[in-house]
Amino acid sequence: MARKLMKGTEAIAEAAIRAGCRLFFGYPITPQNEIPEYLSHRLPQVGGTYVQAESEVAASNMLYGASGAGVRVLTSSSSPGISLMQEAVSYMAGAELPVVIVNIMRAGPGLGGILPSQADYLQATKGGGHGDYRVPVLGPWSVQEAANLTMEAFDIADRYRTPVMVLGDGLIGQMMEPVELPDERPPAPDLPPKTWASTGWKGDRPRAVINSLYLDADTLEAHNRHLQQKYRQIRERERRFQMRFEEGDYDLLVVAYGTVARVALSAIEELREQGRRVALFRPISLYPYPYRELAAAAEKARAVLVLELSAGQMLEDVRLALGRSRPVHFHGRTGGHLISPEEAANRMVEVLEGRSQEVADV
Amino acid sequence: MFRKSLTILVGHFGSGKTEVAVNAAMGMARDGERVALADLDVVKPYFRSREAADALARVGVDLVAPEGDLATADLPILLPRVRGLCTGFSGRVVMDVGGDENGARILGALSDLLQMADHDLILVVNFRRPFTPDPESAVAMAREIEQVSRLRMTGVFSNTHLMDRTTREVVEEGLQMARRTAGMLGVPVVGVGVEAGREQDLAPDNPGCGVLSLRRVVQPPIEGPRVPRSGPLFVLR
Repeated sequence: MARKLMKGTEAIAEAAIRAGCRLFFGYPITPQNEIPEYLSHRLPQVGGTYVQAESEVAASNMLYGASGAGVRVLTSSSSPGISLMQEAVSYMAGAELPVVIVNIMRAGPGLGGILPSQADYLQATKGGGHGDYRVPVLGPWSVQEAANLTMEAFDIADRYRTPVMVLGDGLIGQMMEPVELPDERPPAPDLPPKTWASTGWKGDRPRAVINSLYLDADTLEAHNRHLQQKYRQIRERERRFQMRFEEGDYDLLVVAYGTVARVALSAIEELREQGRRVALFRPISLYPYPYRELAAAAEKARAVLVLELSAGQMLEDVRLALGRSRPVHFHGRTGGHLISPEEAANRMVEVLEGRSQEVADV
Repeated sequence: MFRKSLTILVGHFGSGKTEVAVNAAMGMARDGERVALADLDVVKPYFRSREAADALARVGVDLVAPEGDLATADLPILLPRVRGLCTGFSGRVVMDVGGDENGARILGALSDLLQMADHDLILVVNFRRPFTPDPESAVAMAREIEQVSRLRMTGVFSNTHLMDRTTREVVEEGLQMARRTAGMLGVPVVGVGVEAGREQDLAPDNPGCGVLSLRRVVQPPIEGPRVPRSGPLFVLR
């Protein structure tokens, strides 16, 4: 495909099609509306089906049904809509159904506002709904990466039979950047066949019942152990991160994900020109979180600064990774405000010059 | 390039209407004209003209857009003052209309005034955007916009680019498709946009129309590895 100029939302939608997704169920909400709008045009052109459900609750349960039939399926929403979907996400985690969910986060809590935010981090990475489950979460920092990770999310979902979330702040959804997509992005060749799918019983195998109900305690505990084993595998194999300026020494390590990491990089590049030694650690998989890699990266630094569009959510994972080994500082904005490169640079200098207070234990 | 007292910019979603509107209005203001910019975008939630409020104010452009809480709402707001701009404003008026025929629908509400006002209706088109890959799709979009706005297209503005990945070939190819689009619509190509500071590199040799240097004003405060930053930040209030 020739290089196109696309919004993050459009790139995610087209990437899903290239990855073989032919079904979308959803309900409109800003700032992710171009995903359903785009797919409502495009899916009929490629023999797919687009359904605007009567609510997010309905849409997410349609996902359950479609995935149970063994096909690739997508939904997208924004923060309040994602909250409404959580019941079905828990059911899909329990029934081990591969689906891809896109959350283009807006400022909360409640209806909040339509401007960018990263305040759904804890909801996304710690399960989201009820019960012991986790959902792999990928946090892109560019439009191209949003498209790439969406295609990859379908493979991760199929490989581990799990819902997977692509988590973008509002800016990732709304900004435009040049994108190149493959004409077709076939599923990874080593994915297991979907023998569990409910595709019509012909008497040659046990009936494929897609369910998350286990009334017997022993059976349910065994099922939970199986799920936890799967999450262990995911934590082992699916950690993704990127570093900048990791070669050489640095005094400060900045940790940020999504578009905030881009802002941080701009600030770091400016500070490095002034001779300040700052490096960037950017988690790409938010679950599984790259704890070990972050701990190793922080060893060279005297202090760590976390930047987020929230009151401090990923901050908890950073503190888990580092324990008491390094002082951790934080800067967050809420309400839909972005962190400007100048603001980020000022905070970095404050930490470097000992004028910042580290995050206190509560 | 924009000669009438009222310039209405329409086009597909993401074609660059806002950047053209903001840059054109600022240019007119710098030339000493009295200018009002009406942000009529009821389609996209971010990157609207109103986010360039500070930059516009600095050069004296009168921004007519929802204010306060409503500035960041995703509501289809048509300010009463916009009707006034169509009839009783002595300076130049630039209207930044939301994308596609959905965005242009707001013009239908003004069509009683617009049909009598001396205006240009300009189709801004970027052939690297997904839903307008060729002149045929651009013409189809133009016709839909004409239908809902109850106005006739009077010109085409060629705005094909790939941000920092733009090359002279990308601009030339886009301009040729804009010419074919304009031919099918029976109107002229009024201008071609190139990024400010890269005119030497990007401007076509014989454009046959005006060349507008576009400085990105409404943009996020982030840099990719290759994204140069110019102008003020994406201003959020």
